[in-house]
Amino acid sequence: MLVRLNRRSLLALSAASALSLGTPLAAQETSLRLAFIPQENPDKLLGDIAAITGWLANQIGVPVEGFVTIDHAAAVEALRNGDADVSFMGALPFVLAEAEIGAVPLLSEVYRDAPSYTGRIFVRRDSGIETLADLRDKDIAFADPISESGYLYPLAEFVDAGLIATPNDADAFFGRVFFAGGYQQAMQAMAEGLVDAAGASQYADLLLSPEQQAQVTWIAESDAIPSHVVIARPGLDAGLRARFVDAMLRLNAPENRNLLRYLYGPDGYVRADSANYEGVRAMARRYELLQ
Amino acid sequence: MIGKFFGLLVAAWIGAIGALGPAHATPAKEAPWLPEAAAYRLTLFLGNLEPIPWDQVETAWSDPYHGSEFSADALAWLSANSDIGAEPVLGAIVRKDRQALFEAATQTIAHRIEEELDRALNADDPATAQQAVQTARELYRAFADGVAAAEPAAARQIGRAWLELSNSTGSAGVLGAGATPADKEAMNAARLTISRYLAENYLLDDFAPRRQLTPLPETAILSGRDIDLPPSLPPGADIFDQDPLPLLVLNFEEQGIDETDLPLIAYGDMLFDSAQIFGGPARDLGIACSTCHNRSDINQRLFIPGASHQPGAIDVDGAFFNPIFNDRRDDPLDIPSLRGLRFTGPYGRDGRFASLRDFTRNVIVNEFAGAEPTPFMLDALVAYMQEFDFLPNSMLTADGRLTEAAPVAAARGEAIFNRPFEGLGNRSCASCHVPDGNFLDRQAHDIGSIDPAYSGARSGALDTPTLLGTVYTAPYFHDGSLPTLASVVDWFNDTKSLGLTEADRADLTAYLETIGAADEPYEAFDAENTPFRLAFAELTTFASTLDTLLPRRDAEHILLLVDTVGADLSADASTMSNLSARPDVYALVERLNQVGAAVRAEDWDTAAAIWTAFKAEALTLEARAF
Repeated sequence: MLVRLNRRSLLALSAASALSLGTPLAAQETSLRLAFIPQENPDKLLGDIAAITGWLANQIGVPVEGFVTIDHAAAVEALRNGDADVSFMGALPFVLAEAEIGAVPLLSEVYRDAPSYTGRIFVRRDSGIETLADLRDKDIAFADPISESGYLYPLAEFVDAGLIATPNDADAFFGRVFFAGGYQQAMQAMAEGLVDAAGASQYADLLLSPEQQAQVTWIAESDAIPSHVVIARPGLDAGLRARFVDAMLRLNAPENRNLLRYLYGPDGYVRADSANYEGVRAMARRYELLQ
Repeated sequence: MIGKFFGLLVAAWIGAIGALGPAHATPAKEAPWLPEAAAYRLTLFLGNLEPIPWDQVETAWSDPYHGSEFSADALAWLSANSDIGAEPVLGAIVRKDRQALFEAATQTIAHRIEEELDRALNADDPATAQQAVQTARELYRAFADGVAAAEPAAARQIGRAWLELSNSTGSAGVLGAGATPADKEAMNAARLTISRYLAENYLLDDFAPRRQLTPLPETAILSGRDIDLPPSLPPGADIFDQDPLPLLVLNFEEQGIDETDLPLIAYGDMLFDSAQIFGGPARDLGIACSTCHNRSDINQRLFIPGASHQPGAIDVDGAFFNPIFNDRRDDPLDIPSLRGLRFTGPYGRDGRFASLRDFTRNVIVNEFAGAEPTPFMLDALVAYMQEFDFLPNSMLTADGRLTEAAPVAAARGEAIFNRPFEGLGNRSCASCHVPDGNFLDRQAHDIGSIDPAYSGARSGALDTPTLLGTVYTAPYFHDGSLPTLASVVDWFNDTKSLGLTEADRADLTAYLETIGAADEPYEAFDAENTPFRLAFAELTTFASTLDTLLPRRDAEHILLLVDTVGADLSADASTMSNLSARPDVYALVERLNQVGAAVRAEDWDTAAAIWTAFKAEALTLEARAF
């Protein structure tokens, strides 16, 4: 089935669609469109989308199509325009999309038994750096200026420690602040000694080589951050939305868990609770990203 | 993090396998290589083999590399994503001009980096600029280890330049929130640092002649300095253990004897997992006996370009591991299982070694360029390997007859297996695969599975392999040319004119699948009984030999032990599920290193005291070691 797409928002369109004829369909429920955020290898993502949309189509009983947007903003735009029904998102983009277009949280990712994670400040073990205060006039790499665990939450630790008055004062405390482009780049920069510290997800040291992992440690950890979330456009048919959520929860069953690798590789999903994102909303307001 | 779900946080790191740190036997998953960068690294690797496998050099560019996550090959990728033509590379391959190929391939990657940097600078939006910078940096990865080895200061300067570039592309934010503009001036300055270095080292019209094809910068080559470039495997290489992991059956263990009470065997167990006993690239890459022989069996996924013609096979006397032992024959062998090793001599696919000890020495010294092993090391390795038992199989008696648990078809197949055939010289399958002799006869026979190497050659005889456990060791024959046991039956039926009906062949296959089966072929893992728990138990058992070695003040073998166990334990910690216990594992590694330091200082009392502390801490940690 063809999907109308804003050209600007479209990076690639998968040929992934499948149809299960086993379930009678209501007339208005003709298809479900999923917007995916790109990862390192768009080529692989297209293959993943084909696999997961085929399975979902059989589970839900409507054709399911997937496409890749250039970034979160484009995915939210697609939800707003009705070009997409569902998308996959971090907690911060979700609360912004919620405020902007009324996006609805459906499912939270589970990773290592929890629907939440943290951000940490990592340093090399041999650096002599033991506290956040030791990083005064030192260089730090964060992942991205709108990353929850790779910037907002770790930097807030410096504010909470009284080292920085507001997030906007970070430059005055540190020697240099870099946005490295991702967890891995920030962690590598720290591990290789290009910077003194890195702010990234609590699991980001797993992106280093085994030898590097033994050489790094962390000196501060943020509050819990709700994990990434599957969201829907506000007008999505309630019945279709419920069938989608039920199908996604069936991915937790042992016989379906192998399919999770096609969806950014979480350990599973739980129903999302909007109240769990209050801390993210507060954090977004703290950084003046949300009014 | 925007654009990256934390579910993506698998242990995939950028860098060549084994290129960092001490040798250990735990490889780490690599981040995928971009197709053209992969082709370049494969070209360097294959171009150093003697003779150069030109057909493989060509496919390095025309096919996706082994296991690639990209469906496109380098040529298609270049065609779709670049204005840079591949004619110089292809022309050099056609002419089999190694130097020209090196130059063209190097220029191609350098041009591609410049192309992506141009895209980043000319991008109208941050997302496009970030993608271009990321692509350029992934391409630079093809040179990065060369720069780091030759010019650490330059590597650092360029590393900072990549940081500056990423930092100054700006951010689109989300729905306008958090948007920051690009800093073109900073981008240009950083780009200039990278481009200058490329111009001086990789984007040249002429390069100095290369004896070895490496990613080392041109200025370093011209200097004539000796540069220690850590060896690396090319994209597509896979030295991970197979999954599922074969079950290890040790005779003493089945009898309830604790390995810690068998120090010679425990030390041999350690050596079997130690890359330190090898030399050359194997040692630096963390390749050990167990890399090919997982848990005494095989490794169906092992693949090294230029040395493997298919997964699970390797040519150990080729150009890569030990050039002086290069037989200049492209003859990779399917990795044989070592189960029941004390019953399967002589050793080697053609039974060229009567002695397991001689065979083992040949593996260490000749195949993998190791130093001459001590008598103690050979004794220990042989003692350990002689404990390898066949997998228990409740469908088979000890003398090779089927039990009532065997399927009926297998019983019919047993009769065929024991029937003499004219095409077999009036012998039966059982004549060579003797059921009450573990399904082998300890002799070599030429069954016609090897093409004569030259006219009149009598070099096709191969040692009869056991049929026990073979359900789990596909593919079959010395070169792994037959994918299934059914195809083995078909091969004999066709080449030996056995005249078996389809039903006969099915029954004979059922028999092979029954005698080759096992009650539990693989290790069983769960949430807490993890591969790390298994590794922790093994490594602490290895360390227990210090109870014997320290009183003997055997510094040589103690240091080999602590270097192996320390590096492995540290590397294995990266695979832990229980991340909260990981710092304690690192602390334990440090204890072991302290034992090594004390022994090096000949401070035996301190070494003994630290070893005592190690044992106590390991015991405390045991329950959380998963």
